[in-house]
Amino acid sequence: MVVSTKTDTNLIAHLLRRAAFGGSRDEIETWAERGYEAAVNDLINPSEPEWAEVFLARRFHFEQSGMLTPQGGPAHWLYRMITTKAPLHEKVALFWHGIFATGYPKVIHGKALSDQIRTFRLHGMGRFDNLLLELAKDPAMIVWLDNQDNHKDAINENWGRELLELFSMGVGNYSEDDIKECARAFTGWTLGNTEYMVLRSMRDSDWPYGRIAWHFEFREDDHDDGEKTFLGNTGNLNGEDIIRIICEQEATARFIARHMYHFFVADEPPVPSWPYTPPRDPEAIDVLAQAYFDNDHSIKAMLETLLSSDSFKSEDVRYEKVKGPAEFVTGVLRLTNEFDRPRREILDRYFQTNFMGQMLTNPPSVEGWHQGVEWVDTGTLIERINFASEQLGDESKAGVRRMVDSIMSADPDPSPDDLVALCLENLGVIAISDATRGVLRKRAEMGEHSRNKVLEMLRLTAATHDFQRA
Amino acid sequence: MVASAAQTASTILEYSLTVGMSVMEGRGFYYPVDTLPTSHGRLYVVNRSVDGVERGVRVTMCDINSDYYGTFGAAGNGDGQFVQACGITEDSQGRVYIADEYANQVSVFDLEGNFLSNWGTTGNAEGELDGPSSVAVGPNDTVYVSDTHNHRVQRFTASGASIDSFGSQGTGDGEFDLPWGLAVAPDGDVYVADWGNDRVQRFTATGDYVATYGSSGRGDGELRRPSSVVVDERGLVYVADWGNERVQVFGPGGEFVQKLRGEATESEWAKIFLGVNKEEAAARSRADLEPDIELYDPDDPHEESSHFEKLFWSPVSVKLDGEGRLYVTESNRHRIQIYQRAS
Repeated sequence: MVVSTKTDTNLIAHLLRRAAFGGSRDEIETWAERGYEAAVNDLINPSEPEWAEVFLARRFHFEQSGMLTPQGGPAHWLYRMITTKAPLHEKVALFWHGIFATGYPKVIHGKALSDQIRTFRLHGMGRFDNLLLELAKDPAMIVWLDNQDNHKDAINENWGRELLELFSMGVGNYSEDDIKECARAFTGWTLGNTEYMVLRSMRDSDWPYGRIAWHFEFREDDHDDGEKTFLGNTGNLNGEDIIRIICEQEATARFIARHMYHFFVADEPPVPSWPYTPPRDPEAIDVLAQAYFDNDHSIKAMLETLLSSDSFKSEDVRYEKVKGPAEFVTGVLRLTNEFDRPRREILDRYFQTNFMGQMLTNPPSVEGWHQGVEWVDTGTLIERINFASEQLGDESKAGVRRMVDSIMSADPDPSPDDLVALCLENLGVIAISDATRGVLRKRAEMGEHSRNKVLEMLRLTAATHDFQRA
Repeated sequence: MVASAAQTASTILEYSLTVGMSVMEGRGFYYPVDTLPTSHGRLYVVNRSVDGVERGVRVTMCDINSDYYGTFGAAGNGDGQFVQACGITEDSQGRVYIADEYANQVSVFDLEGNFLSNWGTTGNAEGELDGPSSVAVGPNDTVYVSDTHNHRVQRFTASGASIDSFGSQGTGDGEFDLPWGLAVAPDGDVYVADWGNDRVQRFTATGDYVATYGSSGRGDGELRRPSSVVVDERGLVYVADWGNERVQVFGPGGEFVQKLRGEATESEWAKIFLGVNKEEAAARSRADLEPDIELYDPDDPHEESSHFEKLFWSPVSVKLDGEGRLYVTESNRHRIQIYQRAS
């Protein structure tokens, strides 16, 4: 099916806002020509999954290679999000980072956190069992949830508890005994060279020769190989068995499905209220949970189902999500093309996501960030508006120049309504409310048509309520 | 698996010692980018530090015995300061040149580190610079500058007057893609690490193309994003094969001679640190720094180097001294591994 109507352009724009970081008008039109199904397929199976700029990033930003500080890793990730040709992979990594939220202040090892993001990228669309297994072996996660202190003769329940509560099933689906048995099964799953690495981490020591990357180690001598009963299953269960059992649970499928709906479709309330608040769209959760079981726990299959579903395409859910700071900043920078080459400003842009309330690899707690309207308060909204306005008003940036050129050449003397429409199209085929349109039209009625006026219109459009939403 | 320390077709270099340690101020290095073995027997190490952080930016003065002589230079836009410091070299008069690839300037110091002057204008016209990343001095103190984002090499007088340039963006002979390190050989030819094209190119002193060394890949004699090159009086070409996290030596005709992967030992400064911080030293002594682990991608040398401390990690610069010693500066390990001629 070839999609080429205006409505379908809006649908493609919706898809790109959710499954990527938005798109330019040209990108949206190109995708629309190929059709919605092809667009979904290309996003899920990109032709260039590798990131071509990795050497550039390391050459011009040494800290993005050596990662001695909290900034190197997330700045590297932001740079990748801005320049990747596989945006859904980064969006999926961002999705999992919000769930398996691991933070620098306890880990104090930028490379370990960056490696965890790599795990999300590599395994985030595979079998959920594999992702959980990789996370169980992830050194940053081990330190974040103290599993190096989970010993055969003295268990530490932190990882076991969060695995069940926050990472798979959600509260109400297991007992306190299950948590203890789960913890027992993961005894001996630790960080290699535990003593030295944890000591260096505690001291923030990069002496003598910088960070040493962390690795997983299974210590059989510290593993409780005794009989355990977990969720009704009895045996000499190991961590792999626990993950297999978890992934067979209906509760797991529904928990992950609700997270996916929350991230990709429409904002849900914060996770702690889920046991008491039904999903916004229970049928959509049912469909996603079924896709999970029908496809051997494949996250990719769930995503394909989600992105192809009527509930996702529905006009009712468009702009029902507030863009998170990282996706907001990334979306604007992909439009302005500020990073057409490595620039020191990448660090400033990373700090700007912090000022908007999202410090990548430093979530507020193991619960991650509360999303939706909680992203926006009077302070963070000003940061967002100032950032977008500054970016889109700067004609030295190639992407801005292209937009202004496009609008100027489209019509030498556009009506106010046409000028508003041209700006909305160039900023990513955005739909706006009548109230917003009225404000933009008022400005469009003022003054002669000129490049400066177009720049002002772009800035004003980016400052609207509608532009903050996806 | 750790790669074997030195793999060779023939051995012309052997490991000698390590100098340095990660330190933000004073005695030590912090993301070093280049090293100058000076004419009076010292090592001047340019420290780039972290983007946006002023601490750590300086030139550390020390020597091969780890004796420390202080620092000069600092972060900033003023005289004698750097935003993104890069290559360093010395001319016949003992003047030290340091390129700043962000400020588009070359700063000149005397041999004691006193600021003398700076020159350079941003742009892409003749004589203007966009990302000067490396400097080298030829006969008559002609200064060669790797003008990275303009994809060319420019020649200046010692006082910064433009002479001419050669190269343009491309993949053909004499063309460049983001050139990085360059060096003037004892015979006056100029060698350029043609970073984006995975090769080293050789030119006459006036920029006529002579030869190419290496091609894309990970095999012997192949290069991935080379960052630096230096040539000895025998015509041996030493290349920092940065993307492959190794150093390679080529013969005068371009034939593969030897590759090095790094075999760092504790420097004198590291020993002092560990001698004082006994708890950390004890934990280190009980750790296995060469663990038998499965890497997520065994074919990724950057990943391998991040796990094994002794290996080169971001070998950004190679330099020779008058004794034929090779200095390999590793930005991610904040040290210099020194190799000497094999006995």
